[in-house]
Amino acid sequence: MEILVYGITNSIILSLMSLGFTLVYSISRVPNFAHGALYITTGYITWLLLNKFMGFPYPLAVISAIGITCVIGALIYRFILIRIRGMEISEIIATYAIGLAILEGLRWGGLRGMTFTLPTFVAGSMDILGINIDYQRIIIVGAGILTFLLLYLFTHFNRVGLALRGIAQDERAAMMLGIDSDMTAIVSLAIGSGLAGFAAILLLPLGNIIVEAGYNVLIFAIAVCVIGGLGSWGGTIVASFIIGFAQILTEKFLSSHYTMVVALLAIIITLLIKPSGIFGKQKELEERV
Amino acid sequence: MKKFIYFSILSFFVLFCFPHVTVAAEKPIVIGAPLSTAFLYGWDAERGIKLAADEINAKGGVTVGGKKRPFAVEVIDTRDLEPGVPVSEALLALEKLILEKKVDFIVGGPVRSEAALAAMDLLNRHKKVSILTTGVLTPAYSKRVEDNYGKYKYCFRNTSHVGVMMNEFITMIEDLKKGHNFNKAYIMVQDVAHARGGGEAMKKALTSKGWTVIDMKIYPTGTVDYSVGLIDAGKNGAQILFLWMDMPESAVLLKQWSDMQLKCLPIGFVNAAEQPGFWKASGGRGEYLIVNLVNGGNAPAKITPWTMKFVEAYKKKWGLEPEGYGTSSSYMAVYQLKDAIEKANSLDPDKVIKGLEDSDIMGVYGRMRFDKKSHQIIPSFDPKEGAVTGIIQWQAGKRVQIFPPKLAEGKVLLPPWMK
Repeated sequence: MEILVYGITNSIILSLMSLGFTLVYSISRVPNFAHGALYITTGYITWLLLNKFMGFPYPLAVISAIGITCVIGALIYRFILIRIRGMEISEIIATYAIGLAILEGLRWGGLRGMTFTLPTFVAGSMDILGINIDYQRIIIVGAGILTFLLLYLFTHFNRVGLALRGIAQDERAAMMLGIDSDMTAIVSLAIGSGLAGFAAILLLPLGNIIVEAGYNVLIFAIAVCVIGGLGSWGGTIVASFIIGFAQILTEKFLSSHYTMVVALLAIIITLLIKPSGIFGKQKELEERV
Repeated sequence: MKKFIYFSILSFFVLFCFPHVTVAAEKPIVIGAPLSTAFLYGWDAERGIKLAADEINAKGGVTVGGKKRPFAVEVIDTRDLEPGVPVSEALLALEKLILEKKVDFIVGGPVRSEAALAAMDLLNRHKKVSILTTGVLTPAYSKRVEDNYGKYKYCFRNTSHVGVMMNEFITMIEDLKKGHNFNKAYIMVQDVAHARGGGEAMKKALTSKGWTVIDMKIYPTGTVDYSVGLIDAGKNGAQILFLWMDMPESAVLLKQWSDMQLKCLPIGFVNAAEQPGFWKASGGRGEYLIVNLVNGGNAPAKITPWTMKFVEAYKKKWGLEPEGYGTSSSYMAVYQLKDAIEKANSLDPDKVIKGLEDSDIMGVYGRMRFDKKSHQIIPSFDPKEGAVTGIIQWQAGKRVQIFPPKLAEGKVLLPPWMK
């Protein structure tokens, strides 16, 4: 039973980590390698608001931090990525450099040690199907499902969301219908960064705010997206569940030692069988040929 | 006119000769400190070294060749604790200290075992006496010195290693067995050499003492979920949860343990739980955790008269208590070096080596003397005999020394859900 309970939890944690990365890529075709840095930035801003600006209420600190991260994401596109859009290698180098600068800047600026933490929303735990699980993880599962649902509604029933989908499906056709490509890219970077921040707010209370977590989140986001198919939201969720359950099963029946290898092995297998990922559309035709 | 000439000559003399008097103050003895400064074991060691150097300088410095010479400290970031940074980075940093900064002695790191072992040849090549004070827990370091004294005689270590720590843990766990009828343990370690070694050694030692070791889980660095292992430990009735991890993510494990209210006591070498801020950062969920800080004095304790003096001096200079492993040993290394230089009355490496081998001082964590063959600090449970560990338990937000029994300032407490 713990496989089911913690498999679902682990999978939703992975999908929350990678949803922002997928969203940005699917709409703007920019692989945002600063994703992990934005994740940690949100956590650190929240910590600063809670601990350095006394009396800042937790919900307000959370909303402000996510808001600031959205703005940072938008600014990254508006002032840096807009100039190199379409040049894939340059995009990768630029976003990776931004991520490095942010993370190492945070370390240099004082984010060192293990005492930077965010409080859990609710302390304690309860039994589900006879398995003990803490409230924070239950909240993560609920918030994760709600996020998927809201994203679906946003992209299917909201004008901005529909514009984002339009660009994701066919940029030229969408532009002919009057959708501003750069503006949607800015919006996608802002929302993608916000999703990274939202994941941070949910996940960082489980442990502590450390620079290294930024790199780990990026690795998992890339692993999930490669397996699910770059830019495919459905693929992201499916891949998260594949890796999430595979990790739990590996720990239970093989050895905890191999849990990290599972994600890497899944990438290699995916690349060998279907390089575009399970639901990937990009270059699918070339692969068939 | 004559007055003007006299005044000019006097001014010239004051302007150009007086500064020479200041500069002519004795040339400092330069200590090079290669440390991974972005990590606790690096920055705390740096603070310890600087505090000791300042104290010694304030008292006039080191007496050598009939003169009083001050210590100067050159710190370099080896980055060896950062993930993915190759050993060569630490070696380059060390070489820079030796060749560019022209340091006389090395105190501190490199901090990671692999880097420190690789650095031994470099120290030999440049004939630099080094006292390792933080991070490196592999017994291989002192064994190498013992096996090849002629080559590695420059290398000393005034802190503990896995072998010594294991003996401390076993003695303490056996005490718990007697006091609480514990006999089942679960081991969780990080997938790095020293932790795996520690876990294996603990498994063997506990089994030989009649304990049932339910399982030993090895977690890759960066693991953020320990639920399967913890549930397994709970289901199988583990009473001791032995941990050996230096990754920050081990904080997740401790939070999960507390939230699940598992009926087992966590004990181990847990980097995330060393700092005074840990209790607050964990929201109090670090309560009852027992941590080995490797050397006494890395948290407030009454081991020798010097221990609390050091803690107070540290607090005064840096504004907080010593934070963890590497602090008291780095501080003491500077005093040991001073003692050895004064004994040798020279900076000549061979004479200083002899001085260190003969050095015997009552320090912050007990009697400080090196084994003459392995250059490893001699450990003991009695501060009058050797260097004493600092095993603490988090009790009401404070780090309380609970081992060795002779120096314990509190009894081991069990969580209310274990009673």
